[in-house]
Amino acid sequence: MNPIVDIYTGASNGLREVWANKVRTLLSMSGIILGVAALVAMVGIVQGMLGNMRASFERSGGVLRLEVYPREAPESQQHIAGISPGMTWRDIVAIEKAIPLADYVTPIVDMSWESFIANGRRERSMLHGVTPDYAGISNRKLDYGRFIADSDIDAKSPVIVVGSYIAGDLFRNIENVVGQQLRVRGQVYTIIGQFEPTASRGFGRSRRGWNYEDRMNYIPATTAMSRYKGDDGVNRIEILASSVEAMPDLMSQINNTLTQTHRGIQDFEIRTQDEQMQELKKLENSFTYSLGGIAGISLIVGGIGIMNVMLASVSERIREIGVRKAIGARGHDIFIQFLAEAVVISILGGLFGLVASVGLLTLAQDLIPQGENISNMPVTAMFYGFLFSSLIGLASGIYPAMRASRLDPIDALRYE
Amino acid sequence: MPKMSSRLVARPSFEITMSDSRTVFELQDIRRTYQVGSEFVHAIDGLDLQIQDGEFIAVIGTSGSGKSTLMHTLGFMDSPTSGQMSFEGEDVSHIGRAERARLRSTRIGFVFQSFNLLPKLSVLDNVLLPLIYGRQNPTNKKELGLSVLERVGMEHRASHRPSQLSGGERQRVAIARSLVNKPRLILADEPTGNLDTKNRGRIMDLFGSLLDEGITLALVTHDTEVAQYAQRRIRMEDGKIVEDDGR
Repeated sequence: MNPIVDIYTGASNGLREVWANKVRTLLSMSGIILGVAALVAMVGIVQGMLGNMRASFERSGGVLRLEVYPREAPESQQHIAGISPGMTWRDIVAIEKAIPLADYVTPIVDMSWESFIANGRRERSMLHGVTPDYAGISNRKLDYGRFIADSDIDAKSPVIVVGSYIAGDLFRNIENVVGQQLRVRGQVYTIIGQFEPTASRGFGRSRRGWNYEDRMNYIPATTAMSRYKGDDGVNRIEILASSVEAMPDLMSQINNTLTQTHRGIQDFEIRTQDEQMQELKKLENSFTYSLGGIAGISLIVGGIGIMNVMLASVSERIREIGVRKAIGARGHDIFIQFLAEAVVISILGGLFGLVASVGLLTLAQDLIPQGENISNMPVTAMFYGFLFSSLIGLASGIYPAMRASRLDPIDALRYE
Repeated sequence: MPKMSSRLVARPSFEITMSDSRTVFELQDIRRTYQVGSEFVHAIDGLDLQIQDGEFIAVIGTSGSGKSTLMHTLGFMDSPTSGQMSFEGEDVSHIGRAERARLRSTRIGFVFQSFNLLPKLSVLDNVLLPLIYGRQNPTNKKELGLSVLERVGMEHRASHRPSQLSGGERQRVAIARSLVNKPRLILADEPTGNLDTKNRGRIMDLFGSLLDEGITLALVTHDTEVAQYAQRRIRMEDGKIVEDDGR
């Protein structure tokens, strides 16, 4: 008559039955426990590993990073392409002024490979002219000194920030090379900063890194222009967006601004990291769905286990069902009682499964040391795992409960 | 169509009840037929019976005489195939499962030969079980349970399990369970069949004392000594009443 009372009564009867048959209940819920634990742990580990991949991607600017490259003007503009000044310092100034959505903007004045000379030694390495914003895009750490400052840009200072390769090779006995001088193409530079080596981080750190990044050295863009290029041309522009949401607007704003400074000539292109990101997302989805699917199948197997136990429980308790009906239980009451029992088993199984999954994830964290992010518990997976296991318990309880509720009280009482 | 016919049969039983408000059951030409394979078995074959308030009836007969089917019919576990049946003035010849369950939980108490207590529940919980299905949900449930246990002299065993009790004690608990809903009629199916002579006497005395409280009692037995406790004895054969000393 009152569904809430019915469900309360059924659930308390079901709980009592579960408590009275602890071992059987535990065995029957083992499928659900393993299913939920597997689901949550698998999703957690996959999310953790891919999270690490994403994190390293993010460190290099991630999806927020945009690059503007020069390219040939399109066919229709070929005959007037000459009116464009090309990619120049003015583009940088225009973007900085007009586009607040760009957090950082730097030109890259690419000197490519140069000979670096100091202490009578000569070493080839790469040289880029940049602005202070470059530090915000690359996110690299300095061991000593500082990065290029605005004043260096204004003054076209003869200063350089060196990578660990040059620092280690030209100044073999000096740990901190800040303040030392070196020469590139006849120009003298004072070292103002020294990057932390990127590679061999885990093993006692050697100053001589092997990574490509360790061979990069930076001077103020204006210094590079005046000392080597003789004009204000830049090779490319790197930009960091303030947010992912701002990307489309940012891109169209860059396009508008550069179209203006290039006098309408489309001799540039904006590249994003979006494609790489899409691949990463695809990978993430295929992992999540395939592993989640396998765990889902094991949950269904767990549900079949519950149904099996419930059917056994019904035939074991035919007489009890008869007694309950004789003293006034309706089919409906018996149905709810058995259904509640199945649901209680699956909910308990789901909870135990969640506990087990936390254990598995903690274990995985120890076994996969690079998985810094694995410790993040996949709350969504936990929620769905629990929900799914409860639904499966409900579904697997329906048939046995229906059989119990349809028993004839006279036959059930006679049953031996 | 069935609605029409039920209205037609309802009229005579209504008039009967008006004539005598003390009638608990009024059965007219009741038949209960089972089909076993291609054959029809007439478990009850044209039976008329009136049960008055406060009666103590013993139904006796050999096995297969239809006495169990009669008990199931009176206990609303089963419906007659044909005939008219009224309970407390209401026509109950064609009521559905849910209504039968409601009547079982509120108006009828059952006592079985093999006690049929639920082994996993305590004595008190066994006694309180009908209240769950009766939907009454009284506030003082526990006291009510203890008071009926006291009535049968079993209150000191309230927290025991049925398996810790002797046969006679279990049957007393079963009687307490049948009493807890304050039923109009208690039906007992061979209540002393599994008991020794001493306990048989005590159970029958207990039944006798219930009569003083205005409970109507019907029991099935083939023990003629047990039948002597009853005020009215009905003998059944082949689905018919062949002897009724209450008439």
